[in-house]
Amino acid sequence: MGVAKLKKAELYYHKSVHEQIAAAIQETGACQIISTVEENQPRPSEVEALISCIEEKLADVRYLNRTLTPHYVDPIPALDRMLGERPEVTMTELEELANKTDLKKICDDTRAVERETADVRLKLSEAKLNYSILSSLEFFDYPLSIFNEGTRTLTALAGTIKPENLPGLKAALGDFSKFAQDTELIIAPYNEKEKPTEVCAVLFYSRSVEAEVRELCSKNGLSLIEIPASFSGTPAEEKEKLTAAITELEATEKLLAVKMADLANDNMLTVQKLSDYYNSLAGRYNGTAKSDETESTMLTKFWLPADRAEEIKSKIEAISPEIDLTLADPEPDEEPPSLLSNGSLVRPFNILTELYSSPRYRGIDPTPLLAPFFWIFFGMCLGDAGYALVVFGLILYVFKKYKKISVGVKEFIRLFLFCSVSTFIYGVISGSFFGNFIDSFVPILVPLKNSLMLVDPMTNPMQVLGISLLLGVIHLMFGLLVAAYEKIRNKEFIDAIGSNISWFLFIVGLCLFGVGLGGMLPPHFTQIGQFMAIIGAVIIFFYAGREKKGIINKIISGFLALYGSTSYLGDILSYSRLLALGFGSAVIGMVINLLGGLAANIPYIGWLIAIVVIIGGHLFSIAINILGSFVHPLRLQYVEFFGKFYSGGGEPFTPMTLSQEFVNVKA
Amino acid sequence: MEMLGLSLALFGAALAAALAGIGSAIGIGVAGGAAAGVMTEDPNKFGSCLILQALPGTQGIYGLLIAFFVLNKLGLLGGAGAVALTWNQGLQIFASCLPIAVVGWYSAIWQGKTSAASIQMISKKPEAMGKAIILPAMVETYAVLALLTSILMLMGVQVG
Repeated sequence: MGVAKLKKAELYYHKSVHEQIAAAIQETGACQIISTVEENQPRPSEVEALISCIEEKLADVRYLNRTLTPHYVDPIPALDRMLGERPEVTMTELEELANKTDLKKICDDTRAVERETADVRLKLSEAKLNYSILSSLEFFDYPLSIFNEGTRTLTALAGTIKPENLPGLKAALGDFSKFAQDTELIIAPYNEKEKPTEVCAVLFYSRSVEAEVRELCSKNGLSLIEIPASFSGTPAEEKEKLTAAITELEATEKLLAVKMADLANDNMLTVQKLSDYYNSLAGRYNGTAKSDETESTMLTKFWLPADRAEEIKSKIEAISPEIDLTLADPEPDEEPPSLLSNGSLVRPFNILTELYSSPRYRGIDPTPLLAPFFWIFFGMCLGDAGYALVVFGLILYVFKKYKKISVGVKEFIRLFLFCSVSTFIYGVISGSFFGNFIDSFVPILVPLKNSLMLVDPMTNPMQVLGISLLLGVIHLMFGLLVAAYEKIRNKEFIDAIGSNISWFLFIVGLCLFGVGLGGMLPPHFTQIGQFMAIIGAVIIFFYAGREKKGIINKIISGFLALYGSTSYLGDILSYSRLLALGFGSAVIGMVINLLGGLAANIPYIGWLIAIVVIIGGHLFSIAINILGSFVHPLRLQYVEFFGKFYSGGGEPFTPMTLSQEFVNVKA
Repeated sequence: MEMLGLSLALFGAALAAALAGIGSAIGIGVAGGAAAGVMTEDPNKFGSCLILQALPGTQGIYGLLIAFFVLNKLGLLGGAGAVALTWNQGLQIFASCLPIAVVGWYSAIWQGKTSAASIQMISKKPEAMGKAIILPAMVETYAVLALLTSILMLMGVQVG
């Protein structure tokens, strides 16, 4: 239970076996390399050479992965993939695959198709632009060569102009007699009522006045259209040619897309396997690159769990006789990483601690402490026996169907399996089965349901509120006691009494006093409570002022410390969410049943709609309420509970492992 | 005038569903914008982004829940017909709806902003998902408390 004991291994070996050693360390999946070199120290040359070779391959693999993935339809559905249904390979198979695969050729093929595609797309967009120019010139039924070649004396330009600028342009052209003779303006026909923002115009002019005409046009707001030199026929003829070209280009584009998809289908699996292979190798040698070296030996240090130390030691020593491996306990001034090791009942809750922050190596692992509370709180928040059955059944089905789920995912799913049990229990004792499904649709079971009910949040919410707050007090007080325990372990007795036990006495005393006054406990509990609360308050008062100078300062800080009880009040009231969320699930369920009942009154197809509403509604309700039931109890752990004693701050244990992004790699 | 009580109560229910719903819509919108931004870089974050985006959605559900609660109390669901209500009782129901209406509205907006920030956080540090979920959940506390207040108030109001 708690944080696993680690051993520190110092491994001296000859450079000739360094590859086998690195592989062996990685394949155990339980060794975290400790860097023994300075930040900028050059890496051992053997490792350096290997790494640069792998990086080159990795660059190709990454390129292929990035380029081909969008064209690849994964034959394995995403959900199956997440649940571990992936190809299984061994490192030896991967090595063979890597040796016989010509990555460079696949890359070259892919690049060629990629380049051609880019080329075709460029041509296509150019053709489409030209097509739109031709469309706007449709009114102009002359060969387009006039724009670029012209005749001996005559040439033309085309442009767009805002309709309101037209009169100005016409006037300017008509102004000089020489323009009036040598120019002719043709305006594309347009409908005044449509108020086009611009219209197209073509202007013929004599070469002799070219400079003046161009200046005049730009002054009057005619912006020129560049007519491509390749256009020589009339717009209609050119359009026909372009249409044919565009059709051909589009066909080529489709063909290239098919080619790309073929490339992806042929190679993606290989690329994915090689990606895991080379990433594994890169991880392996980047790990051993942190080793120190002499001319012919290397020194690698790593952490490994104490319970696997001997097994791993013998495995590594079997590689070569020229190996020296010593195991040592961490020195007091060393801060090893922390690995949570808990029994199978607590293990699924590890992730909750890790999501917050791993404990320090020598600190307390809060997982076993929070697990029962989280379990109960989750149950109270979801609080529906029907929902629990659905979740439970679904998880059993997943476990039955998928046998290769990775450890992390499996533990996370098991967390919900466990919590569905508490949900079921609370659902039964609070009489909630798919909301009020029993009352609404199967009245025959109502007596059974009622006989199992211990609490009734619907008619007596104050009772459940009381239970929620009581659980809160227990949770918080437990946190205080853990804090006190940890301080006592560190021999800080005064602090333990002053800042934890005092508050424990004060709050428990106040609760006993209050409950006793309410007549729910025998009268002498009131006296005990009073006594505890006074002792607690006195300690808090004096502890807070212990380092202050002068009687006034001591009194002020004492009262300020007592005022801190409001934060405990806030903490305790925060647990009222247990009632509210449980209530939320129950009422949402009730609403769904109500809607289903209403839908059932629709003639003929009512029953069908009712079934859809009830099933769909409850599935939605399960999803949304699981999210809430996970997040809120988690917050109670992190903010209210951890706030009392736990701050984490440990480095999580990250052993060197094989990369398994796409396939399940076995050693 | 004899319908004034019923009208007040319905007004309260409408506010609970509408204001809390508006808040959730804004909150989810803000968070969704951030999520879309993150996903342009890394589409694989869809799952975690979606969870964070959904967090400010609960206020809308709480509002709906209270609205249904009121309708149920008034006997407007099912064919039974509305109960008789004095204007005083109507006003009491109206008041009971206010906590979730107002707190739901505002808290969802702020929760959305926190969610958006959390989404930015996991784009840089995907391993910080736990912390990223807790930060918006801190805001939601007050919506939960308001829901509780509304429920307890509604249960206290005697009608019929």
